[in-house]
Amino acid sequence: MKSLITPNLIKFTLVTIILTILFRVGLSTSITNGMMIAVILSAIIYAISMWINGSYFGRKEYENLPIYDIGFRFHLSTFIAHNVISLLWFVFGFESKYENINVIYITALIWTVFLIIHFVYYLSVRKSSIKNLDKEDLFE
Amino acid sequence: MTKDILPELLSSWEETYKKGQLTLWIFLALKDGQKYVDEIKDFIESKSKNTINCEEQSLYRNLRKYEHIDVVTFESKKGNKGPDRKYYYLTKMGNELLEKFIERNIKLFFSTEINNLLKK
Repeated sequence: MKSLITPNLIKFTLVTIILTILFRVGLSTSITNGMMIAVILSAIIYAISMWINGSYFGRKEYENLPIYDIGFRFHLSTFIAHNVISLLWFVFGFESKYENINVIYITALIWTVFLIIHFVYYLSVRKSSIKNLDKEDLFE
Repeated sequence: MTKDILPELLSSWEETYKKGQLTLWIFLALKDGQKYVDEIKDFIESKSKNTINCEEQSLYRNLRKYEHIDVVTFESKKGNKGPDRKYYYLTKMGNELLEKFIERNIKLFFSTEINNLLKK
């Protein structure tokens, strides 16, 4: 378990938390002010930043020690960070008056389906690993 | 015309042949005795007569993997100057792995039949 939570994963998660908070600030502010373009822009900027975040730390993780499956571990941490922050956003009352908490639940529910599919894939690739390292990538 | 492509064919074959050899060279370097990364690199380059080139980053990456699967470990010792150096060595399992690999894949080149063919 300890070897699955690596320094790069922790750094990735911290950046994800910051990006998600910024996204929620942008989203709620835009909705409150009825700025549709800003809503779309917030989502696009958030998606691009998250992609850069994942690529950067994912590559570093692979170069350091390619523990399987980098993709799933990063996906799971994104899922947890994003949904916990989104829920807390509502708990602390930071949301716009036009936002509905059900959107968070529905998003989390749909996302869970994809996470489960990814988990099944993760279990299948784990079979071809030794101590969580891909057999084919072990010896060079 | 046919002979013109000989060097190209040779280098293409060598490129394929060398893939997967780095592990063997690292293990041989460590079988020779405890070494830090620069020494492993020097050993590989000199003993392979510069046919195997390895970047330091690549060596570190491989050593981290071998350490993770418990075939290589290290002990920190004082360097000439600067921070402590990691001196890598093969674990008991690492030695067994190398021994079995050599037995199955390398020793066959020393059989009389293959040896005679190589000398022909």
